[in-house]
Amino acid sequence: MSPHVLARLRVGLLLFVAILVQTSLASDLRVAEVAPDFMVLITICAGMAGGAEAGAWVGFWAGLATDMFLTSTPLGLSALTYCLVGAAVGALRAGVLQEHRALIPAVAFVATAAAAVLFVALGDVLGQSQLLDAGRSWLIRVALVEALWSTVLSLPVSIVYAWAARGSAGIEQLGPPRGGMISTERLPAR
Amino acid sequence: MAVYRRPSRTRYVLAVLVLAALTLVTIDARSNGTGLLSDIRSKVSDGFAPLQRGTHAALQPIGNFLTGALDYGSLRHENQTLRNQIVALQQQSVQAAGEEAAAEQVLAEQHLPFVSGIPTVSVEIIDNGSSNFENSVTIDKGTTSGVAVGQPVVAAGGLVGSVQSVSAHTATVILLTDPTFAAGVRLPGANIGTAQGVGRTDPMRVTVDTTNLAAPKVRAGEELVTSGLDFEKFPPNIPVGRIAAESTSPGQAEPDITLAPLVDLEQLSYLQVMMWSPQ
Repeated sequence: MSPHVLARLRVGLLLFVAILVQTSLASDLRVAEVAPDFMVLITICAGMAGGAEAGAWVGFWAGLATDMFLTSTPLGLSALTYCLVGAAVGALRAGVLQEHRALIPAVAFVATAAAAVLFVALGDVLGQSQLLDAGRSWLIRVALVEALWSTVLSLPVSIVYAWAARGSAGIEQLGPPRGGMISTERLPAR
Repeated sequence: MAVYRRPSRTRYVLAVLVLAALTLVTIDARSNGTGLLSDIRSKVSDGFAPLQRGTHAALQPIGNFLTGALDYGSLRHENQTLRNQIVALQQQSVQAAGEEAAAEQVLAEQHLPFVSGIPTVSVEIIDNGSSNFENSVTIDKGTTSGVAVGQPVVAAGGLVGSVQSVSAHTATVILLTDPTFAAGVRLPGANIGTAQGVGRTDPMRVTVDTTNLAAPKVRAGEELVTSGLDFEKFPPNIPVGRIAAESTSPGQAEPDITLAPLVDLEQLSYLQVMMWSPQ
């Protein structure tokens, strides 16, 4: 089996485990009533490690998995949101952001907060106005606390993601960023 | 820094994925909880339920530990020795206490006074809901146990919510604090109102219908129950909440009422689904 296919299978397995943990453990980790979002974090790590295309693909499937367990919003809303976030993170990493040790936590913070806001904004545009009923203060709180969770968890998750995606086209082209990813020397088939 | 070499392919992939997501959103939003996508959701929910149940049971001690760790700030006034003792005792007794609490809860819910002869099904929560924009829980019974969409769900204190979606072996219960939840409530002076969820952290909001009646005089602390009028989603006299605050602005006929749920929605483990439908 080619390294690319193996990488896809490992990333698929990672998404499966992540949604299991998300639906089983995340609700116990609420801080100020807000739970972490592991799926958006994996999407961000995919964008950081593999670029815009990998970010978009992983974001789409991560979002679709999330949508399967939501009943108030239509299937595809999280997929759309995470796909855009993953692609944006990947594009920024490839073309704009400078390598830095704090890059992954900083991007995780900003992108997670953006994902929460984008989810509500897209939902509102697509007729899900109930997402705004809890008020702006709740949205700000969700964005901030989710972002803090992502910042804290970004380094270990990025290491796990880089391990899962090793050998994939995106990582081969872009190389994992510094500060948390496994070093490029340890990756096979570069 | 490496340069990503295939922007046109990336744009193409992104466009396809965005279109796919928008198509799914459109189809699902128009199908109103029926159709192929709902079936897929049900099947996934059913297939995932045993795994979810097992993972939930396995990870619950970790979750409990982390929850305790996250609440550390509120306990800082206690001295170190006492904290250590508490942690040690918690570790020893967590299983026994959990089992005892579960047994007490199940026993308490076997004789709910407000159920008044309506058959119920005891259910256990297998997922407390990890979304920050939806207040729901997943229960371990579905259509094979008689659970159906719209059925009221109660606990020892009163109303918890209603069944939002159901598959063969699981169901999702939308909690009464969710913004999509609404229930008719009885107010003093033969008035009727609608209690509406606002969000996880806020009390419910009550809209008063005072057609041909004097505005209701309500007091903070008063308990409100479901009205059970024709075409209402809930049977009458289920306790919904306690009035947290009421005020009447100058020039306004109806008071602004907020309602705190009687059931502690953060401590739910076992629930009762009432086998009741409006028809």
